Amino acid sequence: MSAQSPRLLLPFVVTVYLGLLAPLVVVIAVSFGPSSAFEFPPRGVTLHWFEAFFASPAFVTAFFRVSLVVGLLAAALATVLGTSAALGLVRFRFFGREAVETFFLAPLLVPEILLGAALYLFYARLAIQASIWTLLCGHLVICTPYVIRSVTAGLVGLDPRLEEAAMSLGATRVQAFFKVTLPLLRSSLVSGAIFAFIISFSDINLALFLSGPQSTSLPVHIFSEIQWQGDPTIAAASSMQIVIIGLLILVVQRIFRLRLVV
Amino acid sequence: MDLGRTRPIWAFLTGPYALFLLVLLLVPFANIAMYSVHPYSPTKVFLPDLTFDNYLKIFDLYYVRLFGRTLRLGLITTAVCVVLGYPLSYWLARARPRWQAVGLFLLIMPLMVSAVIRIFGWIVILGRKGLVNQALVALGLEPVKLLYSETAVVIGLVNIFVPFMVLPIMASIERISPSLEEAAQNLGADWYRMFRRVILPLSLPGLISGCLLVYSLSISAFVTPALMGNPRERMAGQQIYDEVLVSFNWPGASSLSLALVLVTAALMFGALFATRYAGRREKPS
Repeated sequence: MSAQSPRLLLPFVVTVYLGLLAPLVVVIAVSFGPSSAFEFPPRGVTLHWFEAFFASPAFVTAFFRVSLVVGLLAAALATVLGTSAALGLVRFRFFGREAVETFFLAPLLVPEILLGAALYLFYARLAIQASIWTLLCGHLVICTPYVIRSVTAGLVGLDPRLEEAAMSLGATRVQAFFKVTLPLLRSSLVSGAIFAFIISFSDINLALFLSGPQSTSLPVHIFSEIQWQGDPTIAAASSMQIVIIGLLILVVQRIFRLRLVV
Repeated sequence: MDLGRTRPIWAFLTGPYALFLLVLLLVPFANIAMYSVHPYSPTKVFLPDLTFDNYLKIFDLYYVRLFGRTLRLGLITTAVCVVLGYPLSYWLARARPRWQAVGLFLLIMPLMVSAVIRIFGWIVILGRKGLVNQALVALGLEPVKLLYSETAVVIGLVNIFVPFMVLPIMASIERISPSLEEAAQNLGADWYRMFRRVILPLSLPGLISGCLLVYSLSISAFVTPALMGNPRERMAGQQIYDEVLVSFNWPGASSLSLALVLVTAALMFGALFATRYAGRREKPS
């Protein structure tokens, strides 16, 4: 930072960060507070709302049976789909490559709420019932571009001659890929997978349309609880999501460059 | 690489996701396009007649107001995001690596937490007995009704979308060599003059791309206006949600969605183009 930059910059930046983080701080504080009326600042510390969370079948199902399962499956499948797509895009030159690249990032250009509506009407026309599978398919559309970005960034920084060297020493193309390229890509793969998980885990716009009564995801359940003026169990569930996502982002920042994924 | 020419390995690698997107992105939107030219019937899901009524209805007073409100709130949100986000971007771009890492974490972590949770936080802060009103009462003032208003919606939207403003601007400021700033200052420009003549023009692609991103995200927002807005003054996203899931007017929802997706996709492509243009321009140096 150059010494001549305006003195007010730092206080301004701190204020913006306070505003950015305020809702998260408030949610975490409310989840530990004794009052059932979303009181901030809380007048004490209790784990009551976390107990209520684990005692509520609706919350437990939404968290563990829907959001966690869909998130993990989405991360695994998006990593496979996205890594293979990124390999094809970076390592090969073919007619229309740039068009394919743009097409693969297109899900990021379409507002999620509209994609959700479009998928809902598509499933409705085919008479497919909402389930965790319809939700998973929707999430794969929006998660995979993050893996493609992250793996592309990893591949660009990787010398293709390493793979060629392995092949000239007798490895087949497939062996060279699995023994040389893949281990070197590990951190960008893991980062991509983590982001895919997070995007699925925190998505609400697609889930509002694609969750069925048996497959309500955590954000959708929180959404309806807020509308029906629920109690701070919402805050407890939210705090758990905040902590999980915070830890995962820390991991990405440690092993890879955060900015290459976002 | 030579293998790629004889056997199309790239097709095996890119094929699965391409096919996936074809079925779950292009076909659903084609389906919407088809719904949008068929008439709505309260009793039948699908009527075979062709009509453009669903597009004409967008010009009804109700929808003109809806879109007017949506586009206006989008503009306000974008403007506030510029004012709050630009200084933050500059600070992040010029911060020492350690502080930059902390700053990026604190920017991206909230971005990744579900929007519904951040909005929940704001409901607690702005509520009738929330933090803001407690402060007002403590100062001896009357509590005010903040929630369920356009102000609340803008606060929520800005909070959710400001990182989309900061990241592209930050990237374009980072590309400007700090020696340019020093040169301008050595030549006698004060910081503000230097900023206006050097940083601002050179970071314009990032600024444009951030504005387009934030604008298209805010005009298609749903959760924020649904939870923080006045139910009688809705935004376009809420109208589409209701027509799909509440009133089952699928042809109507389809024409609205298509209109909105064309606007936002055009804006997003603009943002993409601005970023690429910036990337290309700095290459020769």
